[in-house]
Amino acid sequence: MTAISQTLSTLRRSPARTFLTALGTALGVATIVALLAVGSGAQRSAGSLIHLGASDLGLFQKDAADPTTSVLPTSLIPVLRRTPGITDATPLVLLVEDVRSDPPAVVFGADPTGFETKRLVFTSGRMVAGPNQIVIGDQMASQLHLAVGGTLPVARRPMQIVGVYHIGISFQDAGAFVSLRTAQAISGHPGEATTIAIKLAPGTRPAQAKRIIASRFPGIMVIASGDEAARAGANAQLISNAALVIAVLALLIGGIGVMNTMLMSVIERRSEFALLSAVGWTGGQIALRVLVESVVTTILGAGIGLLVGIVGAQLLVKALGAQEFVSPAITAWGLGRALLVGVLVGVLGALYPAWRAAHVSPAHVLAQR
Amino acid sequence: MAGARVVAEHVSRAYERTLVLDDVSFVLEPGELVALTGASGSGKTTLLQLVGSLDRPTKGTIRVDDIEVENLARPAQFRREVVGFVFQMHHLLPALTVQENVELPMLAAKTSRRERAERAVDLLGEVGLADRARDLPADLSGGERQRVAIARALSGQPRLILADEPTGSLDSVASRRVWQLLRDVREHRGTTVLIASHDTSLTEYADRGLSLVDGRLVPPSSQPRTPQEVA
Repeated sequence: MTAISQTLSTLRRSPARTFLTALGTALGVATIVALLAVGSGAQRSAGSLIHLGASDLGLFQKDAADPTTSVLPTSLIPVLRRTPGITDATPLVLLVEDVRSDPPAVVFGADPTGFETKRLVFTSGRMVAGPNQIVIGDQMASQLHLAVGGTLPVARRPMQIVGVYHIGISFQDAGAFVSLRTAQAISGHPGEATTIAIKLAPGTRPAQAKRIIASRFPGIMVIASGDEAARAGANAQLISNAALVIAVLALLIGGIGVMNTMLMSVIERRSEFALLSAVGWTGGQIALRVLVESVVTTILGAGIGLLVGIVGAQLLVKALGAQEFVSPAITAWGLGRALLVGVLVGVLGALYPAWRAAHVSPAHVLAQR
Repeated sequence: MAGARVVAEHVSRAYERTLVLDDVSFVLEPGELVALTGASGSGKTTLLQLVGSLDRPTKGTIRVDDIEVENLARPAQFRREVVGFVFQMHHLLPALTVQENVELPMLAAKTSRRERAERAVDLLGEVGLADRARDLPADLSGGERQRVAIARALSGQPRLILADEPTGSLDSVASRRVWQLLRDVREHRGTTVLIASHDTSLTEYADRGLSLVDGRLVPPSSQPRTPQEVA
């Protein structure tokens, strides 16, 4: 039996102590996994928001607090359509919190003949053809027990349901579409849109089109990917920064937790380390024993933390009422990062306890009766 | 393996203003079994710790086979290769089996797995616990635990055994067995053995005695020899 396998035996034969030590790491890792998954899911959802249909780019007002508060004039549409590399442009109005539902649903105002609404697959009824008509996603229909022929109030205006669709994107299937004019009337901003979806000509690279639009239309932000969408608004930036701060805090709390637990373990087992020193173990050998223990328990804790984090991410999204908009993205890289962080926390958190263990005075400890 | 020769000259140890040992000198010849007696607080434990390099004297020198103990660059190596400790409390690690506990000093010395196992089994046979190798310390009686501690002390093949009140928490039968075991160690291995004990009734097992009173060696029934007398 080597020193390492003996250390492992010690951990196996002290399950309560091992589990409690691992729990400290598990909480930190779970927090990191949950935050990364929710953050990544939010980014993916943001990406979906700009790629509502077959669009390649999304245009938003520069420096808007978040994409939903962007305001763009629809008079840009013909100009955009004449821009080289662009085959089509269609305006969209986003109405948030205008439908009473839990979780809140988004109502999209779109040109009924535009390319964005062509992806809607109707399970019953048809697309809107006039004012005060609405088509709803199948998730909304199910949640609110609605069907074609019924009515849905949007900002207290009764809308006649003329179709039920499925598109495969959660927050759109939980939302609804009205005509652009109806949406503009509800928002009180005729001639304006929240965003403009752009379809590029075959062979046109998004980066190239982005440069052209940015130079011709100052004041417009061009979004080409989910990453950029997450950075599009000040609020998204704030959320992103907050997630980073919380992840760092989780790391610190996890590290302090591991250090504290390992330190308590060292103090509790002072006589054990004093005995090892008395029978000829060097300070380095004793410190290594503590470090190995810590790494093994944190790997165990990280494993528990990964599972708790995956479950926690779902619960977090549900607790925030955002499950229709954000689906936590659990990726191998996200889990790997959390595992690496957990091991790092274990090593860093055990350095001081290992030093303490290596410097336990056998003369002082073993002489105590 | 021959026992170690221990020479202590004018050794003192003070903790802040309290003088625990005061100008102590003695010689242990190789293979001697010496009882160090004295009341609680007389300095027995401190003296053993100084000889075993667990502590350093404030004044004086201690040599074990010409190794100056107070100036050791690698005290852990000295404790691993020269000294074997037995304490009043057995200090067996509760999560390790009896055999694993015996192997601890050899583990530090990076002895091969096979040799560790063979030596541990032999030693457990020597202390009469061959059939308890796989047990945990919690499954043993107090006397059996102390015998495991003696096997552990012997596993590094030391030249000097330092036993601090090894029978302090044992009944009389177990105490006599432990003393006899330490005497057997001396007989069969030639190891020098220094046993601190407040129980003078068991010192009959020793070749001679050293007596400490308030940190000073005093003439006991068997007079301790100073280095000058030995010379």
